[in-house]
Parts: sequence; structure tokens; C-alpha cells
Amino acid sequence: MSFATNMRFKFPLMAIGLEVAMIVLFGLFAIFNWCATAHWCTTKLFKTASNIVNHCYRYSLPLFQDVHVMIFVGFGFLMTFLKKYGFSSVGINLLIAALGLQWGTLMQGILHSHGHKIHIGIKNMINADFSTATVLISFGAVLGKISPLQMLIMTIIEIAVFAGNEHLVAEIFKATDIGASMTIHAFGAYFGLAVAGVLYRPGLRRGHDNEESVYHSDLFAMIGTLFLWIFWPSFNSAIAEAGDKEYRAVVNTYFSLAACVLTAYAFSSLVEHRGKLDMVHIQNATLAGGVAVGTCADMAIHPYVSMIIGSIAGMVSVLGFKFLTPVFATKLRIHDTCGVHNLHGLPGVVGGLAGIVAVVLGASDTFLGKHRTMRIFNFQSLCYFLLPRSTPAMQAAALGSSIGTALVGGLITGLILKLPIWGQPSDQNCYDDSVFWEVLCTVLNK
Amino acid sequence: MGSKYPRSMRGCLPLWTLILEAALIVIFFFFANYDSSSQDPKKIVVTHGAILQDVMVMAALGMGFLTSSLWRYGWSSVAFNLFMLALGVQWAVLLDGFLEHPPSWKVVIKLSRIQQATMSAMSVLISAGAILGKANLAQLVLMVLMEVTAFSAMRMISRQFLVADNHVSMMYIHVFAAYFGLTVAWCLSRPLPKEAEEKEQRTTSPSLFAMLGTLFLWMFWPSFNSALLTIPHERKNGVFNTYYALAVSAVTAISLSALTHPQGKISMTHIHNAVLAGGVAVGASCHLIPSPWLAMVLGLVAGLISIGGAKCLPVCFNRVLGIHDTCGVHYTFGLPGLLGGIAYIGLMVHKISWSKNTMLGFQVLFDTGVLSLSMAMGLASGLITGLILNLKIWKAPHVAKYFDDQAFWEFPHLAVGF
Repeated sequence: MSFATNMRFKFPLMAIGLEVAMIVLFGLFAIFNWCATAHWCTTKLFKTASNIVNHCYRYSLPLFQDVHVMIFVGFGFLMTFLKKYGFSSVGINLLIAALGLQWGTLMQGILHSHGHKIHIGIKNMINADFSTATVLISFGAVLGKISPLQMLIMTIIEIAVFAGNEHLVAEIFKATDIGASMTIHAFGAYFGLAVAGVLYRPGLRRGHDNEESVYHSDLFAMIGTLFLWIFWPSFNSAIAEAGDKEYRAVVNTYFSLAACVLTAYAFSSLVEHRGKLDMVHIQNATLAGGVAVGTCADMAIHPYVSMIIGSIAGMVSVLGFKFLTPVFATKLRIHDTCGVHNLHGLPGVVGGLAGIVAVVLGASDTFLGKHRTMRIFNFQSLCYFLLPRSTPAMQAAALGSSIGTALVGGLITGLILKLPIWGQPSDQNCYDDSVFWEVLCTVLNK
Repeated sequence: MGSKYPRSMRGCLPLWTLILEAALIVIFFFFANYDSSSQDPKKIVVTHGAILQDVMVMAALGMGFLTSSLWRYGWSSVAFNLFMLALGVQWAVLLDGFLEHPPSWKVVIKLSRIQQATMSAMSVLISAGAILGKANLAQLVLMVLMEVTAFSAMRMISRQFLVADNHVSMMYIHVFAAYFGLTVAWCLSRPLPKEAEEKEQRTTSPSLFAMLGTLFLWMFWPSFNSALLTIPHERKNGVFNTYYALAVSAVTAISLSALTHPQGKISMTHIHNAVLAGGVAVGASCHLIPSPWLAMVLGLVAGLISIGGAKCLPVCFNRVLGIHDTCGVHYTFGLPGLLGGIAYIGLMVHKISWSKNTMLGFQVLFDTGVLSLSMAMGLASGLITGLILNLKIWKAPHVAKYFDDQAFWEFPHLAVGF
């Protein structure tokens, strides 16, 4: 099979068309509102408008910036491990993140505003960054086997499906998913796996010469890992309520990540021969703790529980890389380039399950958690009925719906992307920057 | 010596690490708790969260990549750094809680405590530079535990008996960690064969990675120096003084590096280390310095010392004593740290002699005490750690396998250009 990979007209037309459409849609639907979600500003401190704007801006902007760094630097560099695919990893990452955050703002805004104008504040921008994270995770699964044009289409479809699923989980199931283990990580991973399954290339069954890393490409990937590792506490606490919940989200994520590093190293050393470490495990499995603790990050679980969750995630992730990925590639005919199933999929499911357990154990009823001294039976039962709380069934439904919609959406997207008009690279040109980029010959021959 | 084949870590490392992590979880289960105090939590997350993040960037990215300049040791530098940080922070949070005054058996986890723990864990990352490439992960685990314990103990002693405040006792981290690392390196020193010396060469692209680490450290150093200052105007002073000292030491380092070379060329190794000397030197006294010119002078002197150390120390000091200091922690952190300590004592004397206080002698005594305590503690605990690390049970890498990633890492296919 060979495809026309010349992007000269298709890609600019598509990209400019999409951008014009975005501008028109923003013109129709979006207006400014600096303080969209910080309710206390509008209710309690309604003194001077400039003061309020100033405060909210200064409060939320650092969080937004942290998430932004993760999306653009963290995810981008995490995927640079292939020896001839660094340009595309960082470059296409930037492209789809830039498109995705515009589209994500619109989709989430339309679903949340019920037909009114979208008030754009810092929280919306954080949420839009979150929605691009799903696409970047899915991108990891199909990395190297897909053209920029296909990525644009996948971005549009995936974010629409994601916004629908997130609305379902948050508004209808009322499930808590503060660090978005289910709605972003599990969703993105299974969406990407479904796409990768449909786009499976039998010609690459035995692997590809370029699908390996060199010494320094792995160090570049380590930059991405470290950025993600450092800023993950902000990711999990970015949309948490300020105060106790935010504090708990930061602390839990921090300790979960720290514990995860230790178990990831230990298991990596355990499964490799002669007790050596594997760079792929270190790059990915050290982050699994942040994914897994996402759902219950803001609940009143104890620090040791988050450490247990992190340890389990690190273990599951390394074992997944070692034993599950080969099975996926050979038996299930799903080729997952970055191993997103092990970094985002499995830990995301672990996070969902941990969330169910935590809700069963009553860690999510924050009111009682705060005022332990008032824990008398009558009061507790009163609160049980009065406060809106997530139930275990709804948490389970959220996990199920995230994975279900991701698989269905991914299959449909995969079928669309399989049409031979999108300029996908031929089998022997996979994992190669020179198909879509101007690359110096000297670099290529190296 | 046994065979030259690298020894298997399989039995040793996973067992130790998993037991340790399980132990940590159990200790957290019994002793750690959330902070449920009624202070305005919003403010705490915003201010401490931001500083915590800056310190984390320095520790994970900065320190990780700073040491990645060796030709064949980049993976280990970065990845072992992350491992030591993760372990060190968990241990330091517990220790800081237990050694607090008054002693309590419940560790309340605050963001400020995590931030301090991250800074304490940085002591290990600094020391690890001295023995970079000469120890395996199991040895590093032990070193983390020993060093964080010693450092926390030193801070506790200097806080309680020598009336040093939180900030000053933390800022002697550089002196402590550098001398700890040097002593461990002395204990582990063995004559290097020719091939190992070759591997210690630095080449262009790893040097760039190290530059990445240097830049991150350089950018975030003002946050590090002002992290533990609580009074707003002191914190402001701390940020400004660190900023100017860093700028001056960067200029000094680059120009002096050219000056000391026969053909006037700049050495990348000097740049990696010496541009940071200003931040180290100004650390302890950054909140006391009244005007920028003093900080700039400190930065200048620190740059001089650091470049001079880089030129002279490996030839005179290290060869005589038989210390092999891979990343030059002595002249990056040790000597500028000492300079900072002396500058702090000088400034305190100046301040008190102005206020005509009769406690001058005591103050000088205490300040000198803190400085010498941190140095003595570093040397002593480093000696103990080094002696333990010399035991055969750690399966230390063979000398021929020093500075080599292949002893620790799985290479699926021998990569091109490696």
C-alpha cells in the first residue's frame, strides 16, 4: 500500500479552514469573563471589579501555567524517544495542542453553558488544556504511523467525544474525578488503542528499523518525564476547590508519585535480566502514580493510602510494559508505540477502582471529613441524605462510560482515518521525520 | 577483585527498595496526618505551592541534568537523581516531623514541610555528584537514608542549641553536602584504569544537556534562597541579592574561564559549575545584605573561587588526598558555601557592632559553631557512610565499569553512536 504523502495543499487547506472555523465560532459564542468559576468573588467580595479580576487572575494563572507546561513541554518531549521522530513528536504535539485547546474551549463551553454565550475565564482555559491532554495521550498510541492531517481530524473528533463523556460523568453521574484518571487518562488511552487497532499495519508486524531509540533521544524523553513529574500535583489540583481539597490533592499526588518512583525502579530491576533497569519503564512508569491517584486525589484518604495507590500503579505499569504490550502487538493486533496503555490506560483504571473504593469507605463526604468532632450518628445520617455525594455505583458508571465511549469513538475515528486520502505514510516510511519535515541529510544518515 | 562482568542487581535492589517502600507506607500509616488547622488554606496552597514547585524543578530537572555531562552516564545521572529525590523526600518529611521541637509522634503534613523536605533531599543530590558513576543504586539508597538523617539531625542541633533560624540552618546544606560527598568519594576512591578515565570525558551534546540543568538551577535559585524566609521584606531582599549575585558570578565565570585557558577559550565544564557559585555563596546571608553591591561582590568572589578551584583542586588537592570528585562539587558547592558562611558571620558581626550589643562574642561563637558543625557533621557522617558503602554486600560496580550506563541499564539494541 502506498499513499500520496505530499501535504502541500491538503494540510494547509485543512489547517487554515479549521482555524477560520474556530475564529468564527469564537466570534459567535465566546465572551470574556475573568472570574467565571470563582463564585466567592461574585458573592462575597463584590467590592471593586478590578480588585476581583486581579485576585482571580493571580490565583489561577500559576495553575494554568503549570498545566500548560505539562501539555506542551511534558507530553511533547515524553514522545521524543524515537530515533528519527523527534521533530514530529514535539512539532505535531504543539500543533494538535494548539488546535485542541481552541476546540476544547468551545465544546466544553457549549455543553456547560446550555445555549448561552461561553464565558471564558482561567478555569475554562485549564479545562481546555485538559481536553487536549486526551488527544496527546491518544497520539502516543499512534505515534509514527499517522500524518499531521489525520491528527487534525482525530483531534476534532476526540475532543467532541471527550466533552460529551465528561459532561455525562460530571453532570449526570455526578461522579468525582478531580485529577481526571478516568475521563482523561483512561479515556485517552483506550481511544488511542482503538484507533491504533483499526489502523493496524500488518506489514510492520515484525517491527520497524526506525522504531527504536538512540542514547540521546531517550535523554530527551527524560526531560518530558521530569516536567510531567514535577508539575503533576498542579494537574491533579488545578480544578479542585481552593482550600482543603486543593491542599489534599497536592499532597496526595506528591506522595503517590514519590512512592511510584521507588516501585517502578524496583520492578524494572526485577523483570529485566541481571537486575538492570529499562529506560522505557523509568520514563513512563514513574508517572503512573500521578495518573492513578487522580480520581481520589482530593478526597480525605490518608497519605499512606495515596502511597499505596502509587506503588500499585508503578507495579502495574512496569508489568504492563513487560508482559502486556507484546501480547497486544502480536495477539490483539494493536500496536501501541509509546505504551500509553501502561502509562495512562491501566493506571487510569486503577485510579477509577481506587475512587470506587474510596467512595465506598466514605472518603468523599468532605463535610464530615472536615468536622470529625461532630461525628455523631444522627448528624452523620442527616448529612448522608442532605449532601450531594457521589455513590460507588455512579463512580463505576463513570469508569465504564469513559472506557466505553472511548472505544466506540476510537473505532469510528479509526475507520474514518483509514480512508486512503489523508496522506498517511507508507509502511517503510513510518517513524521517520523526513516524510513530513525538511530534514538535513547529515542528520538522517547518522 | 572478582570478575569484571557487572554483578547482577536482581536479588539486591528490588528487595531493598520494596521493603523500604513498604516500611515507609507503614510509618506513614501510623504517624502521618493531614493538616487540619484553621489557617487560611487558600493562601497556603498558593504561596507554598508555587515555591514547592520551583524547588522541585531545581531538584528534579536542575540537579538531574547538571550531572549528566558524562559521555556515557547520562541516563544514570538523570534517573538515579529522580530515584534519590523520591526516596529522600519521603524520608525527610518523616524525620523533619519527628525531630521538630517540641518532639511529637504525629507528623502533620503541610506544604511547607514538603518543601523543606525537598530541600533537605537536595543535599543527597549534591553529594551524589561527587561519587557520580562510582556507586550503584543500592549504595545510593543507603546514602540517601544516612545523609538525610544526618542533615536533619544537624539542622535540629543548630536550631536548638546554636539558635540558628530555619533559613540559615538550611543554607549550610551546600557545605554539609559537599563535604559529605567528598568524604564518601574519598572512602570509595580507587585508582582508575585508563579506559574509565576516557569515559569521563565530556562531549558536546551531553554538555548541552548539562547546560539545560544549569540554566534551570540558575533561573530558580532566587526561589531556593528565599524559600524559608518568612518576613516579606527579608524575602524580597533575598530574591534580589541572589539574583544579582548569580548574574555577577555568571559573568565572572565565563570571563575567567577564558582567562585561564592558554588560547583564551571557554570551558563548558567551568560554566556548568561556576555560574551557580554566586547563588551558593549568597545563600546564608541573602536576607541581611543591605545593598546590591555587596551581593555582587560576593558573587564575584564566588566566581573567582569556583574557577580557581576548578583549575587547582583536581591537580593539587584531589591528587594528594586521593579523592576523585566527578562533578566538582567541592568547587561548585563546597568552597562557595564556606565563603557564604564566612560572609554571614561577618555581616552578623557588623550588624551587632552597630547596635552596640554586648552579645557580640556569643553571636560570633554561635555562628561559627553552626558553620563548623555543618562541616564536621558532613565529614563525620560521610566517613561512616563511606565505610559502610565499602562493604562487599552492596555488589558495587567494578572499577572498569565506572562511568558506564551499561552496568545498570538494559540496552535492547546497541544504539548507534553510543
